[in-house]
Amino acid sequence: MEQTDQLILDTAYRLFSDHCGAEVVNQAEIGEPPGKLHDAVMAAGLPLAWVPEKAGGVGGSLALGFNLIRQAASFAVPVPLVDTMVANLVLAESGLEVADTWAALVFDGGQLPVVDNGTVTGVVNNAPGVVSGSLLVVPVSDQGLVRVATFAFDNLAIEESESLAGEARARVTMEGASPVQLSPVVDGMTEDGLRQFCALVRASQIAGAFEKITGLTVGYVKERQQFGRPLGKFQAIQHKVADIAGECALANAAVEQAIRMLSEHHEPFSGDNVAFLPVATAKVVTSEGAATVSRLAHQSHGAMGFSFEYPLQQYSRRIWSWREEYGSEFYWSERIGMSVANDICHGRAEAGQVWDIVSR
Amino acid sequence: MDSIRFNFPAPAIDDSVDSLRMDVRSFLQEEIRNGSFRPGTDCWCAGIDPEFSRKLGERGWIGVTWPKQYGGRELSALHRYVITEELLVAGAPVHAHWIADRQSGPLILATGSEEMKQTILPRIAAGECFVALGLSEPESGSDLASVRTRAHRVEGGWEITGTKLWSSGAQSCQYMTVLARTGERNEKKRHEGLTQFLVPLDSPGVTVRGIRDMSGVEHFNESHFEKVFVADDAVLGSVGEGWKQITSELALERSGPERFLSTFVALEKSIQQGAASMEGHQARVVGSILARIRALRAMSLGVAALLGQGQSPDVEAALVKDLGTRLEQDIIERLREFWPIQLKQNFGDELQYLLSDSLLRQPSFTLRGGTNEVLKGIVARGMGLR
Ligand SMILES: Cc1cc2nc3c(=O)[nH]c(=O)nc-3n(C[C@H](O)[C@H](O)[C@H](O)COP(=O)(O)OP(=O)(O)OC[C@H]3O[C@@H](n4cnc5c(N)ncnc54)[C@H](O)[C@@H]3O)c2cc1C
Repeated sequence: MEQTDQLILDTAYRLFSDHCGAEVVNQAEIGEPPGKLHDAVMAAGLPLAWVPEKAGGVGGSLALGFNLIRQAASFAVPVPLVDTMVANLVLAESGLEVADTWAALVFDGGQLPVVDNGTVTGVVNNAPGVVSGSLLVVPVSDQGLVRVATFAFDNLAIEESESLAGEARARVTMEGASPVQLSPVVDGMTEDGLRQFCALVRASQIAGAFEKITGLTVGYVKERQQFGRPLGKFQAIQHKVADIAGECALANAAVEQAIRMLSEHHEPFSGDNVAFLPVATAKVVTSEGAATVSRLAHQSHGAMGFSFEYPLQQYSRRIWSWREEYGSEFYWSERIGMSVANDICHGRAEAGQVWDIVSR
Repeated sequence: MDSIRFNFPAPAIDDSVDSLRMDVRSFLQEEIRNGSFRPGTDCWCAGIDPEFSRKLGERGWIGVTWPKQYGGRELSALHRYVITEELLVAGAPVHAHWIADRQSGPLILATGSEEMKQTILPRIAAGECFVALGLSEPESGSDLASVRTRAHRVEGGWEITGTKLWSSGAQSCQYMTVLARTGERNEKKRHEGLTQFLVPLDSPGVTVRGIRDMSGVEHFNESHFEKVFVADDAVLGSVGEGWKQITSELALERSGPERFLSTFVALEKSIQQGAASMEGHQARVVGSILARIRALRAMSLGVAALLGQGQSPDVEAALVKDLGTRLEQDIIERLREFWPIQLKQNFGDELQYLLSDSLLRQPSFTLRGGTNEVLKGIVARGMGLR
């Protein structure tokens, strides 16, 4: 990673440490909006992390952005920072002006709305990060090719909802809606490329949350005493912690490999075959791990982990919603299985071997 | 928490690594076509074929990381990694030299006498000399520091008496590294007073007896040492350093591809057979297994890269082995849904053979080289819980 990347990550870490404690996250959900966090994130320009300097952004690498996303997830950041980063990158890639507010990519991995004669029609059922006043960035299909349209929050029919973790989600309906901006067809951007990119965003978030859950659990079992000893001295608890650490390390290894792969790719939204396998792997492993990690962490915490006040629940609820989004482990496993079977049947593997595909 | 990394560096895979992989792959395909070996599951433990090991030695594929003066080629750990991967997925019979290439060779390089290095290492690299591990005993398994085999000082050397159990492949090995007690046992300092010796198995007083395992092969052994004399220079490193030696090599031993690819041949064959009719649920099962293998491989390569940087990622390596060996078992359990496993190895087609043999061998995956419970204990210690 480049030096400026590390600088940005360090800045973000300090900023989250100062303004995104457990209490802030809880209050954001049931009480007071996180005003200071909002202001600090905006002032530091984090939503523009992925936007090139010439388009007014920070110009961070793809790897930086994904690492920032992992870090934000490890603080359960309760503002739509990640959503805005992704939306701004899509805007920059399509040559449109980036947002100076929160922005949301109105895309849930399902079918794209259709643009016809300059107006957009379609429904996106579970668009993440849509909050009052945000700029809505809608990838649309123009006879199968992707263009990007933007809308003001007030100009579309929006049914707001919340994820399991209280994060903003919305059903957005467009019926012949006229966009504020509409890009030409974006080179190297496909519907599946968007799906893969967003799946890797969720995988990175889950990996970041796993790290936090591991840290919380280790800390808790060292502190909490029963039968005159810290819980961590009991072998049954030690083995649970080791299993959490294993899933956490595995998830992070898979995510890092996919990030590396996508970083070397000159078209991160193309969704081609090179990107597919690492990204699908990352989403499967993180989503599968979510059950194990949350189960063992909650068991190790006892009733304390079940309380709203203790932070563990902010992470378990997040990973439970993130694992479903942009394709669960079931969706991506099936695609991996089918893709490998197809490659084998159509002679697209050296000596007809699965290993050739797996080891690429 | 500082001692565990959730970030793994990228392995440096250059063209020379890729071309080596292709060389090994085409050699193995040619050998399979010629009928030189029958691809087998768990081949790094069950497949013993000294002739085949010699062929690999001839090609320069054993001891590749060692100095040239001792028969090596001074290649990187990653070169060795791809060779081992390709051998494993081809199901090649590699057990004869596996331990010497992975463990005993590097141990001799680090601790052996100059004469030992000059005479033994080139023979290992040539695939002509094999070494067994003499750690476990009838009364010492997980609690290895309790070994009872004793070495007494005698004139000009040492006299070793005791019994080693479960030593893999010892019947085809010329040497065994024997962990023995050389100092008085002290309950407070249990890891002191232990020393490793390199013992020629043709020494007077050594008997090696094969033990049949549940899969039907005699691959591990009971070896008895009755007042076996070895010269002073059979000591590996210094007297009393045994424990440090066996624990310092562990990261290498635990994080390699043999910790998650033991049953890959069976998976490979299943998918090849099922490809044409693959759909829905079966695709999900297969895809989920493949994703986990890919992730483990990324993690294992990450540990290799950390080792290459001179770090000692012991905890990460223990995690690779714990996760990987459970996956090897899980693969077989999950394939059963589509390919039931009912008959002994040789009563069906090649796929049935691989599946049955995998099922009959899989209990050993989470035992050998330190049980998964012991591994989890190492992880817990690394995380500051004990
Ligand atoms: C195929 C195979 C090849 C082998 N090859 C070799 C070889 O080449 N050389 C060699 O020296 N050895 C070899 N071994 C032996 C191997 O190292 C031992 O099996 C292993 O260390 C465990 O020892 P044990 O079998 O005596 O089991 P035990 O130590 O008796 O353990 C039995 C069970 O109790 C558990 N247990 C033990 N202690 C604890 C504890 N403190 N906390 C929780 N659980 C515990 C173990 O995890 C295990 O589940 C081989 C074994 C196998 C199966």
